[in-house]
Amino acid sequence: MATIVATENLSKRYGKRTVVEDLNLYIPEGEIYGFLGPNGSGKSTTMKMLLSLVQPSSGGVEIMGKPMDRSTRREHLGRIGSLIESPPGYGHLTGRENMRIIQRLLGLNDQQIEFAIATVRMQGQMDKKVRNYSLGMKQRLGIAMALAREPKLLILDEPTNGLDPAGIEEMRELLRTLADGGVTVMVSSHLLGEIDKSATMLGILSQGRMIFQGTRDELFSAATPDVLIRCDDPSRASELLANSADSRVDQGEVRVTELSERATAGVIAALVSERIAIYEVRRDEQTLEQVFMGLTEGGGL
Amino acid sequence: MGSIISEFLKLKRSMSWSVVVLLPIIMVVAGSGSTIAVEGEFADGWHTLWVRSIGFYGMAILPVGIAILASLVWRVEHKNSNWNALMSRPVPTWQIVVGKIAAISILAAVMQIVLVAAVIALGKFLFGLPGMLPTDYLITSLLIIAAQVPVVAFQSALSTFARSFAAPVAIALVLTGASTMALLLKIPGVAMTPYALLTRTTQTGSATMLTGQGTSFDVSALTPDVVGVTIGLSAVLAVIVIAGTSIILNHTDTRT
Repeated sequence: MATIVATENLSKRYGKRTVVEDLNLYIPEGEIYGFLGPNGSGKSTTMKMLLSLVQPSSGGVEIMGKPMDRSTRREHLGRIGSLIESPPGYGHLTGRENMRIIQRLLGLNDQQIEFAIATVRMQGQMDKKVRNYSLGMKQRLGIAMALAREPKLLILDEPTNGLDPAGIEEMRELLRTLADGGVTVMVSSHLLGEIDKSATMLGILSQGRMIFQGTRDELFSAATPDVLIRCDDPSRASELLANSADSRVDQGEVRVTELSERATAGVIAALVSERIAIYEVRRDEQTLEQVFMGLTEGGGL
Repeated sequence: MGSIISEFLKLKRSMSWSVVVLLPIIMVVAGSGSTIAVEGEFADGWHTLWVRSIGFYGMAILPVGIAILASLVWRVEHKNSNWNALMSRPVPTWQIVVGKIAAISILAAVMQIVLVAAVIALGKFLFGLPGMLPTDYLITSLLIIAAQVPVVAFQSALSTFARSFAAPVAIALVLTGASTMALLLKIPGVAMTPYALLTRTTQTGSATMLTGQGTSFDVSALTPDVVGVTIGLSAVLAVIVIAGTSIILNHTDTRT
């Protein structure tokens, strides 16, 4: 699969403060790339560097195989839609007037404008002044403004920020619709749950460093889930394992962390030889949230 | 062209229109009213009315008005995340700069037209002056419209980089005061700077009736040379400021 965005040791420093450090980010074409990290971890700065709004201190950005910098950015930006920080829009103008500005500026036709408005389902709100929009409506208009140019790449910075649950679900649906239409989407969030299900690829940022990048499945396999053992005497079983593994009793079961498949077989054999009756052995089901928390804790959050 | 049209679309419902209409009317009413109050008449008819209307306006108020217009036009870009959106489009930086300057220049041109209309309306209907405003002042007005462009470009640059509404206006006030002072002191070369060029241009042709009254720096008569130099100098200054702004803006990071 072709890579649409790639960065090489991308870094941004303000004086002695490093905001983004040696980021090697890659976004395969057609994916929904979930860019996760706590507030202040450098997500917005990274996205601004991808758009050349902020110049990197070192390292570089390539988009569609060509360098993205101040001399090439205007050429690239015709194919990149973006929404950075809060949604844009001129408050004293109506939604339609805002779209007309984009149309004139980018030389777009009526169909492109209508399609963008229909995609974010804002047809009924276009004659209202943007100043009177709700936050969700502003977000959707902002996305329509980004979509009108029919981008190949869409970069959305916290588009679910401040939305109610229905709005968040609507945003997820919109992202899937766009991805189905062949648009590569990069979407950031500090709340994992908000992009958990729609993202096909994840990048996790902590204190300016990428602590994980890969598919959802890879993320789960990167962090080995705990082994849970249900047996007749959990406390004795836990004591027996105390020397060889990290185990404890959790809700009537023995929870063993960081156990490989081989070690699991050994643990079970040891328990059986000590005449402990084993009813069930299984891997704990982890939510992405737990994996995320584990990773960001490891990153020294 | 797209960036110029889109700037005009942004001016809809803009506060700038009230500045464009009210500022020159207030200045004409104040200038002519004080003349009537103190002297009881316009000694030299239309000439006196014109000089009293444009004198203080050109020397102190006009650049401040332009500064307010520039701040108003740029203010919308500093709101929400419009700045990010503005710089994330395929529109080249210099076109963004030119679009804004075109919009402010048109507003400033309308301001001059309103001033002329106010002078004529007051002269004809309120003060009942005989005849008509001499056409020389109409030509001077066209020259003023040209000489406004470098000041527009400079104020636009200040408001591009300053989020503050008031700071560029304050700078305009200081620079206007300084250049009017420099004109009075006849410092060589000062007339080549945007603010002094504009101030001088506003007083062009007023010399015909003025002898040390109202203005005391060298006032040019309206000659083809003056017209040519004013237009040429305005164009050169505007291009320099546009190029400088575009280069700096293109190298500036958005605020984080």
